[in-house]
Amino acid sequence: MAAIEIAQVTKRFGEFTAVNNVSLSVPEGSIYGFIGPNGSGKTTTIRMIMNILLPDAGSVAVFGRHSSSTARDDVGYLPEERGLYKRMEVRRLLRYYGQLKGKALKDIDPVINTWLERFQLSGWANKKIEALSKGMAQKTQFISAIVSSPKLLILDEPFSGLDPVNADALKDAVLDLRRQGTTIVFSTHDMTAAERLCDRIFMIFKGNKVLDGTLNEIQSTYGHDTVRVKVAGGRAALAAATDPSTIEAMNDFGNFQELRLTSDPQRFLQSLVQKTVVEHFELTRPSLHDIFVRIANPSAEDLKRPVSGAD
Amino acid sequence: MNRIFIVAQSEFLTLVKTKAFIIGLLLMPVITAGAIGFQIYAQKHSDRDDHKFVVIDHTGVLFTPLQTAANAFNAKNGEGATRTGPHFVPEAAAAPADADAYRLALSEQVKQKQLFGFVEIPAGVVDPNVEKAPSIQYYTETPSYDRLPDWLQQTLNEEITRRRFDTAGVDQALVKKLSARADVQTMGLVGKKADGSVEKAKEVDPIATFVAPFAVLFIMFLSVMSSAPQLLNAVIEEKMSRISEVLVASVSPFELLLGKLFGVTAVAVLLALVYFLGAGYYMIYSGRTELVQPALMAWFVIFLICCVLMFGSMFLAIGSACSDLKDAQSMMQPVMMLLMVGYIGSFAVLRAPESPVALTLSFFPTSAPFIMMLRMAMQPTPPLWQPALSLALTLVTTVGFVWAASRIFRVGVLMQGKGATFREMLKWIRQA
Repeated sequence: MAAIEIAQVTKRFGEFTAVNNVSLSVPEGSIYGFIGPNGSGKTTTIRMIMNILLPDAGSVAVFGRHSSSTARDDVGYLPEERGLYKRMEVRRLLRYYGQLKGKALKDIDPVINTWLERFQLSGWANKKIEALSKGMAQKTQFISAIVSSPKLLILDEPFSGLDPVNADALKDAVLDLRRQGTTIVFSTHDMTAAERLCDRIFMIFKGNKVLDGTLNEIQSTYGHDTVRVKVAGGRAALAAATDPSTIEAMNDFGNFQELRLTSDPQRFLQSLVQKTVVEHFELTRPSLHDIFVRIANPSAEDLKRPVSGAD
Repeated sequence: MNRIFIVAQSEFLTLVKTKAFIIGLLLMPVITAGAIGFQIYAQKHSDRDDHKFVVIDHTGVLFTPLQTAANAFNAKNGEGATRTGPHFVPEAAAAPADADAYRLALSEQVKQKQLFGFVEIPAGVVDPNVEKAPSIQYYTETPSYDRLPDWLQQTLNEEITRRRFDTAGVDQALVKKLSARADVQTMGLVGKKADGSVEKAKEVDPIATFVAPFAVLFIMFLSVMSSAPQLLNAVIEEKMSRISEVLVASVSPFELLLGKLFGVTAVAVLLALVYFLGAGYYMIYSGRTELVQPALMAWFVIFLICCVLMFGSMFLAIGSACSDLKDAQSMMQPVMMLLMVGYIGSFAVLRAPESPVALTLSFFPTSAPFIMMLRMAMQPTPPLWQPALSLALTLVTTVGFVWAASRIFRVGVLMQGKGATFREMLKWIRQA
């Protein structure tokens, strides 16, 4: 059974279609990365999974159950912009979040103790949130999402704003949870993290699903046409030796250039060696970053659009 | 149901643990008593100056008795460190050639703080044959200070009356005896004892008539004011920090709303009970057990619960529809005004508890908890159908308000960006 089964889901806010006929199946025990530019529909999709929003069409099932509070109890959620009750003590807050998920205190307390210890927060259990540093508050927030030992954990931008040490601590925690069988969905703008952590990647753009598969599958779909080239004389010599119509895009790394070609790489190499000295030629797979940029290619208009709750 | 309780419990603990609540609960009586004490102390001790004033006495006979009275007054207020009040120091005026120039000169002295003021007593005041006595003029730079003119009026008039009687050859002691006033005493009604005999009416006492009903009203107002408005801040904090998103991912918005309302209601009831226990203890201690009325308490608690739920829903709805506190401040004005209607209206009701205004306010749901409770604590108690109808109307309205608030809350709590207008909120209520 899939942890999440989204079938032909559409969600509109007035005239605006936030999510358009999207289907997705998240296998149990996997780490699924949600990527997409701001305002593309990630948070709306997540909110429908969380049963905070109801779809206008289609269906969302979590562990085979449709929009019931029992399904919701199996899901831990860390929203994008994080806040905690500033004047609540750490332990009281974590207990409250656990109880709201229908768990008994006797089940919650050991989990709290384990995680506080792991994040070196044991000494802060009875301190108020406002006394914590930012990093500690972020870790506390993470614990609040997993305090009910959820079978599915949804993290909206979990690594944004974290320093490298805390980001690593969280990534390790995510991997550990997966090892214990937790299904994890996280949305991110950090393409490196997505590449490193995710079993599968889902990209939504302007409400439509544009990518869904393993990193391998995605890269091989987009990977035939990218080459890294180094010629004697550098970028100027390369430009002189090539026909501009054969190059769709160029990324200059200084020592070498990465080209996205419109023609077959073999033929391109043949033509290049006739004109200049090729020092290095490598067929590469595009990074997730490149694929993202290629799909989203944010126009000025997109960048101006405010980030709203109706993401 | 269980989760509503968990939310309520958390809300209750959060509110009860705030310093504001603890201070309000424990220190409120202390502060009130302290404030009254300070006021009395300040009145007694702040005014300990010598007030020198010139007396222009055209009668030629009043200055000496005035000085004697001033000496007695000063002696009563003590000397030196133990002095408890002002000293009045009258000074006889020189006989001026030009009256206006003299008044101007005295006024200058007052401005330069050499004098506190001056008094001009016309000659006609002691004449027993004038129809209307001319008035005595008191000139001052500080008209707000009324102790000196009050004292002058009383002291001079006693002396003037005495002199008029003397001149007319009437024995003043006899006049005093003959003109003694008969007071009107306000009594309750006459009742029947168990053995059939007539029970004597009791004199109406101010504590039962005014103090107790007003205390009931005040406790209602205090309990509502220190609980319901807190919801506004709580919801806005949760919204701004996106806590509400996490909460709504665990409980339905309606459960969350009810939990919050119940938590805050519990705080209000706790607060009221503590105050009533204190008041009840005091009543029993001072032998006024008849003022402790359990039935009235029961009505009070039911009305209080309705009132907190009603206003709590309004504050929750507004909080959920606003994006920040500044936004909310202006939107909560109408609600605060609604809350004040009952309190302000009570002054009119206290004077005429059966007037049309009192009846209207008793049945108007948002003021009913205040006004009906006030009237029930007063004599005569309204006929039972009135509180029953009032409570029924309040209950129906409360259910309506909670329902409407839940509709607004459901949409508002997840909204980000700009706050909603009242019109949008109405739209959310109508939306399916």
